[in-house]
Amino acid sequence: MKSFFQELNRNKTLFLMIAPALLFFIVFSYVPMVGVYYAFTRFDFAGGLFGSEFIGMKNFEFLFNSGVLWNLTKNTVLYNIAFILISNMLQLLCAIFLSELPGKLFKKTTQSVMFLPFFVSFVLVGAFVFNLFNSDNGVINTVLQQLGMQPYDFYVHTAPWKYIIVFFHVWKGLGYGTVIYLAAIMSISDEYHEAAKIDGANIFQRIRHIIMPMLVPTFILLILLSLGGILKGQFDLFYQIIGNNGMLYNSTDIIDTYVYRSLAVNFDIGMGTAAGLYQSFFGFVLIITVNYIIRKVRSDYALF
Amino acid sequence: MKRQIKTFSTLLIALMMMVTVLAACGSSDSDNGKSTGTDTSTDTKSTDTATDTGGDDKTADASKPDTSKKVQLVWYLLGDAHKDTPKVVEEWNKMLEKDLNVTVKLNFTTWTDWTTKYNLLLASGEKIDMIFASSWADYYKFANQGAFMPLDDLLPTYAPETWKSVPQQDWKEATVNGKIYAVPATYPEYTPDGIVYREDWRKELNLPEIKDLDSIEAYLDGVKKAKNVTPINGKAYNEIFTMFKSYYNYQQIGGDSGVVVAKSYDAPRDIVAYPFTTEFEQWAHKMKEWKDKGFWKSDTLSDQKEAGDAIKTGQGAVYWRNAPGAGGYIMGLQTSNPDIEMGYFPFSRFNNLTMPTLSVNNAMAIPKSAANPERSLMVLDKLRNDPKYYDLMNYGLEGTNYSVDTTDSKYIVSPPAGTPKDDKDHTAYGVASWGYRVESMERVKQAGGWPGFDALLTEFKSQSKPNIFAGVLMDYAPVKSQQAAVNSVIQQYGMPIMMGLVPDVDKAIANYRKQLEAAGVNDVMDYIKEQANKYYDSQGIK
Repeated sequence: MKSFFQELNRNKTLFLMIAPALLFFIVFSYVPMVGVYYAFTRFDFAGGLFGSEFIGMKNFEFLFNSGVLWNLTKNTVLYNIAFILISNMLQLLCAIFLSELPGKLFKKTTQSVMFLPFFVSFVLVGAFVFNLFNSDNGVINTVLQQLGMQPYDFYVHTAPWKYIIVFFHVWKGLGYGTVIYLAAIMSISDEYHEAAKIDGANIFQRIRHIIMPMLVPTFILLILLSLGGILKGQFDLFYQIIGNNGMLYNSTDIIDTYVYRSLAVNFDIGMGTAAGLYQSFFGFVLIITVNYIIRKVRSDYALF
Repeated sequence: MKRQIKTFSTLLIALMMMVTVLAACGSSDSDNGKSTGTDTSTDTKSTDTATDTGGDDKTADASKPDTSKKVQLVWYLLGDAHKDTPKVVEEWNKMLEKDLNVTVKLNFTTWTDWTTKYNLLLASGEKIDMIFASSWADYYKFANQGAFMPLDDLLPTYAPETWKSVPQQDWKEATVNGKIYAVPATYPEYTPDGIVYREDWRKELNLPEIKDLDSIEAYLDGVKKAKNVTPINGKAYNEIFTMFKSYYNYQQIGGDSGVVVAKSYDAPRDIVAYPFTTEFEQWAHKMKEWKDKGFWKSDTLSDQKEAGDAIKTGQGAVYWRNAPGAGGYIMGLQTSNPDIEMGYFPFSRFNNLTMPTLSVNNAMAIPKSAANPERSLMVLDKLRNDPKYYDLMNYGLEGTNYSVDTTDSKYIVSPPAGTPKDDKDHTAYGVASWGYRVESMERVKQAGGWPGFDALLTEFKSQSKPNIFAGVLMDYAPVKSQQAAVNSVIQQYGMPIMMGLVPDVDKAIANYRKQLEAAGVNDVMDYIKEQANKYYDSQGIK
């Protein structure tokens, strides 16, 4: 304890500087955590948070009893793994290409064009998707018909939707991730490249032996950060693209859309919190485990 | 060095600003507490002076509520404000300040995600003095959970005219667990589901007049073949689901989205889950046929378009509307597309049965958190009974939004007389003022003045029976996990069957039933049966 105060005294300027950030997290992230208690109560308006009746795990039953939880969790996790891996790989690749491109104008333009989808709202993405794939006058079916082929009923078949969803997710996040990797590449000292060039390394060898290894920490960090949210589905993405179409749920239902569908009719604070808690808790366990493994293997890449 | 000091001091200033902002947040709270404290003290003072100056006044006003304290109320309505609403509210506040010494801040939820916002407003305990309430906005559930304030003791004192004029039956319908939690609007309505359709096409193609399911099918088929448009072009679930319910005379109990129905009006205690009936099987096969004939598109469940919008562009023919809604839609089309002639078929004709809406279909309630419930009731009493207030808050400003009809001064016209006919900027004043409507005070005709409405109303009244289902009180607390699971199954398996989208109907129905049972539909049904029987017993319904 004494040493803590000594530390505080010695670095008071630094502590002062971190204070706003600390305060922010306390006020907006830690204090609201008390609300987790809602998950264990039968909410009533008169009682509020602590006045409501304690009912134990009853609010979790709708997740476990119906027997769909396994399928939902599987869908959510698999989608997120696909999102994380494919997105990161492509972002990495694009960043490397961009960094090796000569010509500033072309580079900047490409970067901007790639970044733009990030600003498009999911409502619009939903509209794009509908206009591309709908059976009557969707772009794809119109083209198919013009070519004399049978139109394909996208909205009654589950098969294509896995790919469509992953595609749009990757498309939307590509520019954003690329910028992060690009920044990491830019911070690699030119000396490595010069030394490699003198030793006669070609561009592929430089990418393989300089850029890739130098990007591993960034790559791992980003993966770790996204793992925490692996049980949190992207509600807006799935809901805007799939909507209320029960035909497609078998391959596109994730925890978030299921919870929305179950509780939208009967607004229930307790059950909503329970679902959120389930997601957060497993995200927490997952990130701790993965971090533990990484710390065992290569301790300097671990988050904490 | 100098530079370092400068950066440091900038940082310090930024930090201090941050702290003050946060401190301001905290202290404003305590300020509020203080100001209410001072308010009460001035209040007692002013009453003191009142007693000092004139004892006569006091005895004369003993029955009248004390309005010496100036209060600001917060009211919430659903939906969006009109562009003239700020002006209207300003005018309203002038009148209120003079008459009742209050001002009201009128807020709107907007229609986007209104259910979520409405729920959150009540759950978060925000200070609201009066809010719109309705059976279709979970009035019974919220009242049962204690979100609203019981009004029995307040009404006779603070809203005496309303207390006297609202019929006993209406109060009874607003009663939950023996207490009244809302002031229902006095505006009896019939809102049976039905479809509007292109009557001009029907005549042109010489199709039979629509009077039953077969003629609907013939019409849809004729339009599809001859005009090559998708008749229900957009979201088609409402059209089909309400048609299904009405055709078999199924009366839904416990919410519009569930699967539990009474098998007919005359057998209210015969309660089943409709997916388990043979009627549902027949219907599902028929809908599969209809879908295959192209009456709607295979992507209808993902479509976000309203079928009514397609009619305006000549791309559709049929749209689901309730009777007053149909009138509004048809009158709207007459101005935007005068060349289209529409007809209306209410589904109530399948069984010649209509039920009036509950009084709490539209109502005003006071949330638990309200600081000045008695003032809100006084304002509401004025609003419902004083024509000056009523006209202002329902029709806007005279001269700007409307003027009195020269031929019949009971009615008003909008746009006001003297407005050029081609003035596109003018939209009739309208907000969701349904919660405080009173039939005898109304100055516009129902259904947007649609001429066909009067005949329909006579028809509805002649076959009207009391609504014995909507009052069944349901909060689902004991079966809420099953209900949540069932809701999800309905969407995933039920809706595609209803729309005829599944490749094999029998297999899909078998699977749907299996999923419903796994989700606990029987528990939900038992619960609803129990509640319904309890209600029927208390109302003397057999």
